[in-house]
Amino acid sequence: MTTLSGQPLSEAIGYSFSNANSAPHREHSFYPYTDNGGSTLGITGSDFAILAGDTRSVAGYNINSRYVPKVFKIGGDDETGDGAHIVLSVVGFAADGQALKERLDAVVKMYKYQHGKPMSVRACAQRLSTILYQKRFFPYYVHAILAGLDEEGKGALYSYDPVGSYEREQCRAAGSAASLIMPFLDNQVNFKNQYIPGSGEGHALEPKKAEPLPRETVEQLVRDAFTSAVERHIEVGDGLQMMVITRSGVEEIYYPLKKD
Amino acid sequence: MVGHGMTGMLGEDGIHVDMNHLKKGEVNLGTSIMAINFNGGVILGADSRTTTGAYIANRVTDKLTQVHDTIWCCRSGSAADTQAVADIVSYHLNMYSIVNNEAPSTQVAAALFQELCYENKDMLSAGIIIAGYDPKHGGQVYSIPLGGSLHKQPYSIGGSGSTYIYGYCDKHWKEDMTEQEGIDFVRGALQEAIKWDGSSGGVIRLVVLTSQGAQRHLYLPDNGYTGPGVTN
Amino acid sequence: MTGFDFSNYNRNAALHAKGVPLPKATSTGTTIVGCIYDNGVVIAADTRATSGPIVADKNCEKLHYIAPKIWCAGAGTAADTEFTTALISSNIELHALSTGRPPRVITCMTMLKQHLFRYQGHIGAYLVVAGVDPTGIGLFTVHAHGSTDKLPYVTMGSGSLAAMSVFESMWKPNLDRDGAVALCAEAIKAGIFNDLGSGSNVDVCVIEKDKPTQLLRNYIKPNERGEKERNYRFPKGTTAYLNQKIISKEDMRKYVSVEEASGDPNLMEVDI
Repeated sequence: MTTLSGQPLSEAIGYSFSNANSAPHREHSFYPYTDNGGSTLGITGSDFAILAGDTRSVAGYNINSRYVPKVFKIGGDDETGDGAHIVLSVVGFAADGQALKERLDAVVKMYKYQHGKPMSVRACAQRLSTILYQKRFFPYYVHAILAGLDEEGKGALYSYDPVGSYEREQCRAAGSAASLIMPFLDNQVNFKNQYIPGSGEGHALEPKKAEPLPRETVEQLVRDAFTSAVERHIEVGDGLQMMVITRSGVEEIYYPLKKD
Repeated sequence: MVGHGMTGMLGEDGIHVDMNHLKKGEVNLGTSIMAINFNGGVILGADSRTTTGAYIANRVTDKLTQVHDTIWCCRSGSAADTQAVADIVSYHLNMYSIVNNEAPSTQVAAALFQELCYENKDMLSAGIIIAGYDPKHGGQVYSIPLGGSLHKQPYSIGGSGSTYIYGYCDKHWKEDMTEQEGIDFVRGALQEAIKWDGSSGGVIRLVVLTSQGAQRHLYLPDNGYTGPGVTN
Repeated sequence: MTGFDFSNYNRNAALHAKGVPLPKATSTGTTIVGCIYDNGVVIAADTRATSGPIVADKNCEKLHYIAPKIWCAGAGTAADTEFTTALISSNIELHALSTGRPPRVITCMTMLKQHLFRYQGHIGAYLVVAGVDPTGIGLFTVHAHGSTDKLPYVTMGSGSLAAMSVFESMWKPNLDRDGAVALCAEAIKAGIFNDLGSGSNVDVCVIEKDKPTQLLRNYIKPNERGEKERNYRFPKGTTAYLNQKIISKEDMRKYVSVEEASGDPNLMEVDI
């Protein structure tokens, strides 16, 4: 077929489509995943790391529960998680999140029994990547974030995609409200788009340099991020669970959020 | 059948998913309806359940609709379609009685219903039973199933619940029943339909059409559909 | 030239066939209710409007004016509920003027159902119509396909199940005004807290015999936003720029009239 642009008619439209395929024909089969909504967030400081998540679990327009934790202590001495120095958050499909947390917890405990020393966060992060990639063709449908303190005692944060690609970062938001929270973090933690007033003219203006924030500031940022996400995302709410990892252990804090 | 009306708004494909879903017939009268002849006129009967998917949108629906003084109909299928059709017929029968200065016969009403249901069969999902009393012909029962055909019958059953009561009706039907026998027959049949059909339920409503006019009956599940009986 | 413009139909159908998703309409994934009482009728609604999982408006109005003593609560596609009620309101006013009588609820309900039936469900308006007229008290639901129901208490929208559970467990005959308002507010709250499509505040409208209609906007506000813990005001000069041009108020005054705004000029909140 001849067209004005010389391209076949189907390609002649002058802009691209996110999923430009022909007539969407749907096949029905069992779908093993559910999106349970919610959001998580992690920020590190010079000698601590904070992992937080809301506690709402949803299915469609319904609330399954107002308290289902998304942040877990990994490799503790008993079922309460006491003695743990690594924390994992999982958001997405809650059942997979639960299974992943159980797997990693067992791995970290076995490591301690076999080697007689606790697993380092770096090693744990690498192992978690392996666990995720092992299910490359039937993935754990979760966005995981791992937090702890590194060998030097600095806050360490690792974030993962569902099939095991991972990266160490200063801060990360995940889950349904990630797109609302992440730009806020870029601006307030890494000071993106902020310049030092009067430091220069035009291109010479100096960007504000990011440096580790004190714990109190980070806690405030986390709470503000979540109270704001609750305002604009229907799947986020009910409660905020925060884990603060310091040299002296893991501290768990709960704050109520709006329930509408 | 899809979920409740408004949940469909949130599809990954925007409003389009919603449209497909709505076209399937939002509010349904998944029904048990019937009408019978007896020696003094006709009796119409219906359950009172309307559903949107699994949700009961109305548990005390009135599916017995008056289109003239002693011509009534039982509605089954899409609530919107059957209400629209009944409203149009009602209008025409009103005009008929004004123009001709006499009440229309049941047959005229049935023919009007058929015209609408047959000519618009591709647009409608409506299964209607018409029953009426006129002094010339006495009581008459007509049935118009989905395609828009018209059948004059001694008695007629319809809706999803009717499939469960063909045996019951065949066994218990008699010509020339008394009013009380007729009422017991209709009530007994609808009670069975409600028992077995999940899409039927609530109360049983009856309308008795005789030379004396229309009389409404109501039977509640609270007392096993035994009363209160006449309500006007 | 009246009614809808279908001139983009063929283009949009072609784009959709290529897999372009249709634009997302703002849906009022809603809880709306109504309840009659001895001397009138009450309708109520939540105030959240959503676009997918995002809250599009935290305090929208879902209670629409039809006539002084006929009001309508709307669920479904926001634009459809607004335009449909506005259209019927206009026609009702003309009808009242031409007949010289106060408009009736059943007239309004019939006009709505005939309009919606004509569009076969493509106009996604789910309505609760309520009012008082010379024939008495009226309360109806109208579905997008044009079916109607008449009941002493009704609910609609995605939160209708949560709200109906309140009515089915707490409703009793012969309610008074305060009882009906309290029951409706409780039903809306059930929707706000248990249905993700509903949220924020409760709006109530009371239509009473021999009394002016009372619109109780934000009758209950159970979801006030808490104070932010940090201050997010940037020092002047934080944002980079390559050049600047200042136009003073005096320059502006040559072309338009300039008025001083009241309140703190640094505040950005404009949602009132």
